[in-house]
Parts: sequence; C-alpha cells; structure tokens
Amino acid sequence: MVDDSKALFLQIAERVEDSIVDGSLAEDSQAPSTNELAAFYRINPATAAKGIALLVDKGVLHKRRGIGMFVAPGARRALIEERRAAFASTYLEPLAAEARKLGLDVDELIQLLKERFSERTKA
Amino acid sequence: MTSIIEVKHLTKRYRTATALDDVSLALDEGKIYGLLGRNGAGKTTLMSILTAQNFATSGRVRVFGEDPYENAGVLGRLCFVRENQKYPERATPPQAFRTASYFYPNWNQRLAERLVEEFQLPTDRPIQRLSRGQLSAVGIVIALAARADVTFFDEPYLGLDAVARQVFYDRLIEDYAESPRTIVLSSHLIDEVANLLEHVIVLDRGRVVIDAAADDIRGSAFNIVGDATAVAAFAVGKQVLRKQTLGNVTSVVLKGQVSESDKVRLARSGVEVAPVSLQQFIVSSAAQPDKGDAWGTDGPPAKVEARQLVRNGGAR
Amino acid sequence: MTRVTNVMRLQLMNRQSYVIVPLLVLGGAALLALAIFLLVPYDGPKYAVMAAAAPLWAFLVVGVQALTMSFPFSQALGATRRDFHIGTLLTAALTAAMLALIYLVIALLEKATNGWGVNGYFATPGLDGDAPLAAFASYFVLAMLWFLIGYWSSAVLKRWGLVVLLNVLVGLAIALTVAALLLVRFGAMQAVAEWVVAQGALGLDAWGLLLVVVLAASSYLTLRRITQ
Repeated sequence: MVDDSKALFLQIAERVEDSIVDGSLAEDSQAPSTNELAAFYRINPATAAKGIALLVDKGVLHKRRGIGMFVAPGARRALIEERRAAFASTYLEPLAAEARKLGLDVDELIQLLKERFSERTKA
Repeated sequence: MTSIIEVKHLTKRYRTATALDDVSLALDEGKIYGLLGRNGAGKTTLMSILTAQNFATSGRVRVFGEDPYENAGVLGRLCFVRENQKYPERATPPQAFRTASYFYPNWNQRLAERLVEEFQLPTDRPIQRLSRGQLSAVGIVIALAARADVTFFDEPYLGLDAVARQVFYDRLIEDYAESPRTIVLSSHLIDEVANLLEHVIVLDRGRVVIDAAADDIRGSAFNIVGDATAVAAFAVGKQVLRKQTLGNVTSVVLKGQVSESDKVRLARSGVEVAPVSLQQFIVSSAAQPDKGDAWGTDGPPAKVEARQLVRNGGAR
Repeated sequence: MTRVTNVMRLQLMNRQSYVIVPLLVLGGAALLALAIFLLVPYDGPKYAVMAAAAPLWAFLVVGVQALTMSFPFSQALGATRRDFHIGTLLTAALTAAMLALIYLVIALLEKATNGWGVNGYFATPGLDGDAPLAAFASYFVLAMLWFLIGYWSSAVLKRWGLVVLLNVLVGLAIALTVAALLLVRFGAMQAVAEWVVAQGALGLDAWGLLLVVVLAASSYLTLRRITQ
C-alpha cells in the first residue's frame, strides 16, 4: 500500500483524507487513532501520529479532549477543493506526456475520455 | 528528546579486521531504530558493546548517561538476545520465559503466551532441539515480553517464514504503541522493516554511512530512466548515487527531490521518474565501494560521475 | 541481592544437571560398591572412596555448562558479570552442600549398620576417625573443586581460546610431574605422605577450600573480559 516517493506520514495523512473525500469517514465522526492506523498500515506509531498532526494543523481533524480525533465540519468540501486545484498537474501532465509518446492528438484523447465516462455511467 | 545512548568515536579492532571504525551516534528515548547494513557491517559488534558484552578498542559509550560495563542499574534496563543466543542446557521455552520474567519487572506474560501460540512454539522440548526459526521465535518472545527500556533485536527473523515474521512485526508495533520504549532492530531485510522504523542507521564496513530520520530518507532520492542523453543532461550537477545502462537507456538514482516542474520537464523528454525505496536508496548509496567516502553527502566522486555521464551521452 | 537470586534461579533452570544427575550417579555407584563388598571375601573394613566420589564428577560438567550456556543467557537478560559469578557460585555451593549432606546421612547409616552388615564403607572417608563433619566437608570441597575446574577452564577457553587453555593445562601437568619427580629424587615422598596424614581430612579440606577460593577468584578475573 505504501509507495516510496514521499514521506510515510504524508501518505498516511492522504489515506485519511481519501476516506473523508469518498465519504467513508463522515464529518463529525471519530477518526482512527494513531495506534489503529499504525497497526492497520503496519507502520511506526510515531509516523502515524505525525500524519494525524498534519491533518490537525490543516484543520481537517480536531481534537476533543479525552475522546479523540474527529473530522472537522467542512473538511470534505475543503479537501475536494484542494484536490481539484492539484488535478491538472497530478493527473493531466502524465496523461499528456504518455499520449504524446503514443502519438495521440488532443481530439483522440478527448474522444477516449468521453468513451470512458459514458461506459462508467452505463455501468 | 533526550539521548539515552551516546557513542563517540567508537572503534573496535580485531587482530585482522576492523569491525567498527570511528562510530559516533546518539539515540533518543522511545524511538524504533533500524540498524541496517550487510552481514559483517558491524551491527552485532555495536550492539554487543552497547550492552557491555564486548569491549571497545577506543572511543566511548554511554547508556542512560553511564558506562554500561558492570553497571547493574544500566544493564538491568537492557535486553539483547543474540541471533545465535545460547540458553541453559535442557531449558524449555517456558522455562526460559519464566527465568527472563524474573529479570524484567515489566515482563508481559500475556504477550509471551500469545506469541508462543502464534509462533506455534513447542513448550516441552529443550531449546537446543528447536529449529532455527523456533530458536528465533524464542528470542523474539523474550525480547518483546521483557519490555526493557532499550531492546536490541539482532536479525530476529532468521529461519522464520513470512507469516511468523508478520506476527513479529505486528506484535512489535502493537506492544510498542501500548508501551513506548527504545527499540534497536538490526536487519538486512530492509524493505520488510522500513515502515516500522522512525530512524535509520546504516553501517557499512564498520562506518556509519546513514544516520537520519526515516521520513527524511524516504523521498531523498529518485530514480530516472530514459534515453541516455536526456538522462545525462538532467543529471548534470546532481549527485548520482547509482547508474545503470541498458543499450541506449540509462537509469540513474539521484540524490535530492524532484520538483513538479522537473517532473513536467522530464515527462516531456520521455524520461520516467520513479520513487526510490529505502532499500534501493541504501543499496545505491553503498554501490560505490572504492571511492573513499562512498556515501558522503558532499560527493565529489558522484559529480565526476555525472560529468562522465554527460560526456558518454554526448559521444553517442 | 534480587539480582543474585535471579541468577541462581537461572542456574537452577537446569536442575537435572545440578541435582538429578549427581543423585542418579550416586545411587548407581552405591549399588555397585555394595555388590563389590559382597563379592570381596575380606572381613576387615572395606572402603570404596573412589566410587563414592564418582557422582561429584557431574559437577565438572555443570561447571562447564554454567559458563558456556547459562552465562550467555544471563548476558542477554542484562545481568552483570559480578552478579552472574556470585549467583553461580552460590548455586554450586548450595547444591554441593545438599549432596554432601546426603553423603553424611549415608555415612551415618553405614556407621550404625556396621558397613551394611558386611563391613563395607562407601560414603565414609576413612580419615579422622570418620567424623561426620569430615565426611560432609570432604564431599562439599570435592564437588566445589570439580565445579570450579569446569567453570574456570571454560572461562579460559572462552576468553583466550583452546590453544591457551591446552597450554595452561599441559603446563600445570608438567609442573606437577616435575614437582613429584623432584620429591622422589630427593627422597621427600615419605615426608609428604606424613604431612598429608598429619593434616587429616579437615586439614586437607581446608587446603582444598583454599584452592576453591583461588579458582573462584581467577575465574572471576577471567570472566570480566569474556566476549560472546
């Protein structure tokens, strides 16, 4: 599950964000604890704690004293905004590069994307 | 953070070989350390000296601020089960565990019993007649259940199958989360333990070549693969940790981080960027055996290599 | 003190070597001695001191194992060399005393039954008017000596290797032989024998004990720098 391109705690933070974005971790619900994350991903608890701390700094999670970490209200919306902003460089750049390598032009690429989208909708 | 282990200019020479060569380190309380390196790199010697089971030729070692030698107050807080640990004649695993429990006030019997079950350790046979893997399991049970302030693991997985190794890693994380303490895990299976580590120390022929937080290492190098000319052009002025060539394709591991603009630039010239795992990083860093300070951070030899690469690339 | 008792508990994990094996050998040797007493047609008092001393041999093995097997385990568990040494010697003394006590009981029985009715003495060392204390002290010192010879040799072996150990042992053997030859050469054997008899069992035990102390001290000094 872990990839090596970036620090583990960043990846852990992203995993938690993923589940907030896809709705499996609802706003105002309790986030997994450091030790739960460590055991689940088989990583050092300090690393998991660092990931959680990052999300707290970002305002995605907040601490309720004596209970644990909870997803902040509005966190999902904020994360989706953030990801949309990064979408082009994260996904479109490599897509464009590979398309160029294969000699696909823009129109063909758009056509392919359209097909993908409609297939998805059908399914 | 307080350093609980301090090593200064530690050198250990045997008649024919130097096991440790001017090693200086400081270990903090409550972290999981990876002590990595090839067989014979000096890992066991270092742990032996830290636990006063072996002696320095020169240099200084302090554990909890004191010399550990014959120091009951210090040694009583350490646990170091060797990879080829010996046990009293005819002792069975449960007897060895019971004895160990006398020595460690925080002994976790519940964990010991659980591990015995998970490792499927025979309880009625003398330890001497156990298999290699079972012998390793006995050592793991003692070292984990002891809950010593500093626990040293010496290649603890020898002979264990993948399932048993995972049991070890899982229980290690679990019990560490429950009762944080300093753990030094010596290993040459770097990929397997990489995610457990907070800090990484790499020894190579008795010298410390990497001493850094695991997070800092992850993403501290990257691998680019592609047309030799393009790769060479990008590598100019960067520290090359490793270079491999296959026909007209060159793969180099470069130190540093790849920026978003670099990624775009590389993608346009058809060069692929791949992450470098901790294991790859260590192997790459170690792969320049005869260039003096092979893993140095200021790497003149690496720069020379990058220039050569350009020249070679240009000649084609 | 807890640390020392922990080492004793560690040593006594191996009850078989420390207690059971010596007792088994003792039982076997006693039966054998008795059979021989019955077969020998001589009616005077018969002593089987060598057979009686056989179980004490087991302590040589125990001494070796204490250092080669138990010492590394004690190191893993963070015991100091000093605590290990004291705990180990106390364990040896405790078990040797136990064994010596058994000999004493047997010796008393022999006395009460006039040598099992056949005038054969197994556990009674025929010295010092067969004082019970002499029996106890002799077997205790003998067991301790065996233990320390094993323990000390293993310490030398682990610290300096086989060559050094063999050199030391051969050197000792040569020194003893030369001493014996010199005694014979100068006709002093008679005097030595007289001296030994004059010492009596307790006197010899005291000399043995001195040797035990020397071996114990020298083992400790060797042990202080042993590496795994």
